[in-house]
Amino acid sequence: MRGVRARLALTLVALVAVTVAAIGLGVYGFVDASLRDRLIADGRKQADYNLSVLLPGAVPPPTDRAAFIASGLPDAFALRGDSATIADFGDAKPFEPVSMPGALGEISPALRATVAAGQLGYAWQTLAGQPVLIVGGRQAGSPSLYFVFEASDVETALAQLRIGLAAAAALAILAALAAGGLIARGILRPVDAAAGAARRIGGGDLSARVPVGGRDEFGRWAVAFNEMATALESTVERLEVAKRQNQRFVADVSHELRTPLTALVAEASLIEAGLGNLPPGQRRAAELLVADVRRLRALVDDLMEVSRFDAGAEQAAFEQVDLSHLVTTVVASRLPEAAVSLPPAPVLVEAELRRLDRILGNLLDNARDHAPGAPVEVAVVPTMEGAVVTVADRGPGVPREVLPHLFERFYKADASRSAGSSGLGLAIAAEHAALLGATLRARRRPGGGLVFALTLPVTRSLPGSDGPDTMVADSGGASESVSRDRP
Amino acid sequence: MDARILLVEDDPSIREVTALGLGAAGFTVATAADGVEGVERWRAERPDLVLLDVMLPRMDGLEVCRAIRREATTPIVMLTARADTIDVVVGLESGADDYVRKPFEMRELVARVRAALRRHAGGTGAGEVGTIVLGPLRIDLDGRTVERDAREIPLTRTEFDLLADLAQHPGRVCTREVLLDHVWGYDYLGDSRLVDVAIGRLRAKVEDDPSNPSLVVTVRGAGYKAARPDG
Repeated sequence: MRGVRARLALTLVALVAVTVAAIGLGVYGFVDASLRDRLIADGRKQADYNLSVLLPGAVPPPTDRAAFIASGLPDAFALRGDSATIADFGDAKPFEPVSMPGALGEISPALRATVAAGQLGYAWQTLAGQPVLIVGGRQAGSPSLYFVFEASDVETALAQLRIGLAAAAALAILAALAAGGLIARGILRPVDAAAGAARRIGGGDLSARVPVGGRDEFGRWAVAFNEMATALESTVERLEVAKRQNQRFVADVSHELRTPLTALVAEASLIEAGLGNLPPGQRRAAELLVADVRRLRALVDDLMEVSRFDAGAEQAAFEQVDLSHLVTTVVASRLPEAAVSLPPAPVLVEAELRRLDRILGNLLDNARDHAPGAPVEVAVVPTMEGAVVTVADRGPGVPREVLPHLFERFYKADASRSAGSSGLGLAIAAEHAALLGATLRARRRPGGGLVFALTLPVTRSLPGSDGPDTMVADSGGASESVSRDRP
Repeated sequence: MDARILLVEDDPSIREVTALGLGAAGFTVATAADGVEGVERWRAERPDLVLLDVMLPRMDGLEVCRAIRREATTPIVMLTARADTIDVVVGLESGADDYVRKPFEMRELVARVRAALRRHAGGTGAGEVGTIVLGPLRIDLDGRTVERDAREIPLTRTEFDLLADLAQHPGRVCTREVLLDHVWGYDYLGDSRLVDVAIGRLRAKVEDDPSNPSLVVTVRGAGYKAARPDG
């Protein structure tokens, strides 16, 4: 915006400056020429008269300085007009006005040559520090006569004209600058308004509109912009409504499923308790039934949880959690065969036990489902900024391009082995992590498998414990200790 | 164990299978299909424990809970469809001792029922004989009663257990996790709202000014403690 405004103003200023300069130079040249022409014309007329009328009648003939003074010519010349006279007799004794000693030597050689050739000539120059016009000429047998006319009036007038023109030009440029700024602002006001509206729309305020100022190009453009914004707003609204309906549908369905599911789960657990009494054929079917009811329950639980996140119903209630204790407990209940590596001192984080339990539980379930039978390692590592909990498996892993999709809902990296999970576990874990201000990332593990790292902010060791200087990092199954005391 | 349980649940399948499961676990079960019937059956049967669905026809579970609490300290366990909602807190504030989230595995439900009954049967261990004095309160561990100025304060047994647990070690901070373990029998991941709501109900009964408690004190960020006798 600023650029356009400046360019508009500068363009206007440049145009005005060029115009003012052209006019100024023209005026100056014309005045200069006409003033000088008049002085030259006067000077020539007087020189002509002096040379052709006064000089031939002079007695005695002015052959040298003394005769020139005796003939009374200098006074006669001076009476004719306001000029001073210099006479060159070809000897070393020229006639010069008292006020200009040595003036002959200052006359330009070109003029002196012209005069010596018997022609009338003139020159603009300075004499004794004054700007003058010198008109020179001679008659046959006469000395070279130079008539000096003061030109300081011309120079003064021109100097005043220069100052006047410069001041006028400066004023014109300033006016142009101001006018340019005003015009630019006027032109750009709708552009500013449009930029503001576009920014608001970009920021999510879809109700932003541009004022429609008139029927010019900007007015038409504003109408088009507003039409676009209205279309965008209604589209987004439609999508929002559809999304809300969708989310409500999921929430309602999961809720409606809950009553029959409650009966199913209770029934299945009774059947499970009585499996031993069933004949072998029915027993297998009953086992499968029990397992499938559990899967259905897990899926509905996950759907309910996801719909709570979508409804914005989840809020973190922070409490102090002993991370090592939590990890030990969750691993013992979910995947007891996993190897656990803990730092010697308890690690306390501000988090929520229930959510950490869900995150870690889901990561362990994921490791168990996607890397069945492979060793799983869980580690807690305190860092300067917080603590990291890693769950590393030795399963088949995933291709690099799949990593960013792992936390998407119902994303299944391996369609053939998706039977065990709802496809929501990692998405739910990531939602919980975000609520806790933590980050959950997945990376490929050198040598095969996946590592999930949950980074929790701000941690501190239990007060009074005296072994927090050692951090234990688990890499590839072998533990290595890094001590801060080491140089 | 031949404790008698009243199950109030409107869904016939859930009611039947839950009754079956509780029966198989050794309990005697009476059932009711709505809130009004539930209160009537409770008056007629005087069960040892009530399992109460929250959403019931004619009279909802919270009303039933308050009706029972007006007359007795019988342990009540709520069955709730959504553990995240205000239902749980309102249920606990209405006087329920614990809740079980639907759907539930039978062994999970039986474990909660047994934990609630065991507390109320008293005698969770040695060292609970005698009388503790906490400020103006006389806590009789044998008789499981609390007196203030020679007048008995009617506490539910959950409230009594909570008070007794705190009062046995005055000045010592008990975390919510520890209280969930001691009083409710959750070894891991109990809902801390159980503790907070029960403490609130307990204070309403024993404190002079429940909003400015002097006997059962909150220790910010840690848990609760009973005030030391010397202040």
